[in-house]
Amino acid sequence: MQGLKYFVREAMISLWRGRRAALLSVATIAAAVFVLGGFLLMGANLDRLVARWSAAAEFSVYWRDEATRAQQDAVDRILAGSGVVAGREPVSKEGALQRFKRDFPALAVAAGSLERNPLPASVEVRLRPGADPDAVSQLAAQIAKVQGVADVRYDRQWIERVLSVVVLARGLGILLAAVLIVAACLTVANVVRLALFARLDEVRIMALVGAPMSYIRGPFVVEGILQGGLGTAMAVILLYVGFLAARARYGDAMASLGGGGTFVFLPIGLTALLVLGGLALGCVGGMVAARGARGVAAES
Amino acid sequence: MVETFHLSKLYSRGVYALRDLSFKVDKGEFVFLTGPSGAGKTTLLRLLLREILPSEGEIIVAGRNLARMSANQVQTYRRSVGFVFQDFKLIPRMTVLENVAFVPRVLGAPVATQRRKTFQVLKWVGLQHRINAYPFELSGGEQQRIAIARALVNDPMLILADEPTGNLDPDLSLEIMNLFREINARGTSVIVATHDRELIRRVGRRAVTLDHGSVVEIDEHAAVDARA
Repeated sequence: MQGLKYFVREAMISLWRGRRAALLSVATIAAAVFVLGGFLLMGANLDRLVARWSAAAEFSVYWRDEATRAQQDAVDRILAGSGVVAGREPVSKEGALQRFKRDFPALAVAAGSLERNPLPASVEVRLRPGADPDAVSQLAAQIAKVQGVADVRYDRQWIERVLSVVVLARGLGILLAAVLIVAACLTVANVVRLALFARLDEVRIMALVGAPMSYIRGPFVVEGILQGGLGTAMAVILLYVGFLAARARYGDAMASLGGGGTFVFLPIGLTALLVLGGLALGCVGGMVAARGARGVAAES
Repeated sequence: MVETFHLSKLYSRGVYALRDLSFKVDKGEFVFLTGPSGAGKTTLLRLLLREILPSEGEIIVAGRNLARMSANQVQTYRRSVGFVFQDFKLIPRMTVLENVAFVPRVLGAPVATQRRKTFQVLKWVGLQHRINAYPFELSGGEQQRIAIARALVNDPMLILADEPTGNLDPDLSLEIMNLFREINARGTSVIVATHDRELIRRVGRRAVTLDHGSVVEIDEHAAVDARA
């Protein structure tokens, strides 16, 4: 405990003495953690959005005008026997036109002036929650082959495309964060190494009086941890401020897109993991630099 | 206490700092190492501190072969040796008290022990009234007394001093040597490297003269004079 107090005190003195260099190191860690946290935050919110879209995913079967009753019954039988359908609602050509006029009032007059209704009759199919996407895709393909079916639209196909873009963006974000983390680690190591050189005489005296290596290296490792902690704290605060600003500005748009949900911050577990990661990053940087203390001690 | 057998130290540029040196310092003895610059005095002290390893031969201190120690054993060994340098090597940002307490502190001694030992040695060197001063506020003699206090604070069995009076005037030099004599009188072995022949004569202890890394003279008379 006494040793730990000594490490922390010495590390804080050293941080204050080399505050300009330390600020650079803290800022680099903050940037790395901010980028990583930002991508995780964005990814987590997009995941939620996509999950809600997926849960609400539907597919629609559009009829040709000449589709017969028998063809419609055939599709009904396929849907009923599929095991993934929660419900279905037929929409007539007239019903489709009414809906169009309601959803796009500016075009209602133009739609009413047409000689014939161009909108097809359809069946809107609601899927069971957790329906297997592959099974639904197969069902859509099977129905598309039925005579009288003009088209089958399945939401999940584009949701999956959005999802793949999200995964790609997250991967790029993690890659970028990894590069920044390595840079931050090297910066911490170099800043702590500067502190080591500034205290070379002390390190030599410590080695000459027989101080344990842990006692010689401890303050430098703690200095790295403090830099990591400060940088991460800064990043998390900035992330939260950015999150609040984004929610204030885009929260309503998100809610309308996502069926009522809005932005959420990183889960507490992930935030804690981010903070621990920042501390570990500083610790690694400090340890790399503290290896230099071993060299000095060996020369002493 | 200290015994060397055919000790040699060859530096990388092919120069022998010490060559085939065999000598002995008894427990509780006070010995001067003297000789011109480059004679090997500092190299011998560095070997005794286990800062460097011998190229050939053996060096035994208190029964331990310094060349065959692990890193941890070296640290343990150094806790039993005090050192004093010509340039004092005090830590400028620390007060007198902190400079001396630094040793027990980094060795993990309890706070009460650190304080007790530090006050004890500062009182012993007569600087208990300067505990809050910084090294730059002290005279050369005072700084060296602080360095001696730091060397003593861990109750070493052996004190090594490399030109401890090199930066001091003759009166202060004698004052510092008297401190070493008192340390020695308490039973601690003392090895002082100095090129100051006059000082050796005035202190009166055995003097081992080195030149080009070898012992060229052992002056037992000084020791006899001192005992007389």
